[in-house]
Amino acid sequence: MAKTYDYLFKLLLIGDSGVGKTSILFRFSEDAFNISFISTIGIDFKIRTIDLDGKKVKLQIWDTAGQERFRTITTAYYRGSMGIMLVYDVTNEKSFENIKNWIRNIEENASADVEKMILGNKCDLEAKRQVSKERGEQLAVEYQIKFIETSAKDSLNVESAFYTLARDIKAKMEKKQEASNPAGARSGGGHQLRANEQQRKPTSWLSRCSLL
Amino acid sequence: MSEVEHKEPPVANELKDYIEDGKNKMIVKCKFCGSKILDKNSATFITLQEQLPLMLQDSKQEGEVQSETITDFYHVENMFTFENIGFTHTVANYKYLSCADCDAGPVGYYNMDTKHSYVAISRIVQGDN
Ligand SMILES: Nc1nc2c(ncn2[C@@H]2O[C@H](COP(=O)(O)OP(=O)(O)O)[C@@H](O)[C@H]2O)c(=O)[nH]1
Ligand SMILES: [Mg+2]
Ligand SMILES: [Zn+2]
Repeated sequence: MAKTYDYLFKLLLIGDSGVGKTSILFRFSEDAFNISFISTIGIDFKIRTIDLDGKKVKLQIWDTAGQERFRTITTAYYRGSMGIMLVYDVTNEKSFENIKNWIRNIEENASADVEKMILGNKCDLEAKRQVSKERGEQLAVEYQIKFIETSAKDSLNVESAFYTLARDIKAKMEKKQEASNPAGARSGGGHQLRANEQQRKPTSWLSRCSLL
Repeated sequence: MSEVEHKEPPVANELKDYIEDGKNKMIVKCKFCGSKILDKNSATFITLQEQLPLMLQDSKQEGEVQSETITDFYHVENMFTFENIGFTHTVANYKYLSCADCDAGPVGYYNMDTKHSYVAISRIVQGDN
């Protein structure tokens, strides 16, 4: 059967236990009387189809199931992944400090050119905050990684974070293609990217969290 | 063409409007939030006898998973055919399928051996957009 998409990106959610990785992937909330079968078992991964500058992009987004507790995430787990969301909890200092350890883990185990992004999650919990947005930004600058604060609870910035990561992976791939095939690739790239930027992901960028 | 038609399972009357040449004529969507699960014409109608856990489990009946038998499915050979879908952790060689946007499910299952997916037609809706 013909392939019906342009790109397929495997993405991982990484970070300390409790920062909200599962919540970023799984939004269901339940009442006391009925238990959702799905929430009992839990989600392993999701497939999402997005449009990036006229290209059909499939995202396969994986949760980390428990391995994070022992930091046993190794080469096998990272295999084939093209993007990693590094998640910390803005109400948990330790989870923020551990981002550096996670980055080291990625450098040791994942492919060298894997695209990364840092998420400061639970930004709805302003009263409990331990990590300022500025410190998140500083860390991101230090590692030259993109950064955004999110709230899985309020669905704030989560979707746009995945768009951003996916767009960066796509840009990197197109750059590579261009390098290996200079004449062919030129027509696509640059200006198209900008043309679509505006109609893309709207309101969530202007959320509470990113304005703080 | 006629050969293919022989292999197609008979389509019940209430499904006739939705199936054309053995494939889903319309977009397959989540019943609850309308999230797009499958594009038109991307899956094959198939009849099976499969037990699928109920979406909502009565919390008073502890232990046992409550299920129902489902016969009408859309068969998806490659998981990346899905537009938006969730896969649960593996239970006895199956993963269950759920809505990627509202997490409702199971809307079907995935067989770890064959790597094929099956969407329960009674648990989704179909429409033009
Ligand atoms: N207030 C708030 N709580 C969150 C958020 N994300 C996750 N949580 C809660 O934090 C806890 C741990 O979340 P979970 O997704 O299991 O973290 P994981 O261990 O990284 O998968 C749960 O009680 C979630 O309800 C968020 O954005 N805001
Ligand atoms: Mg988790
Ligand atoms: Zn839904």
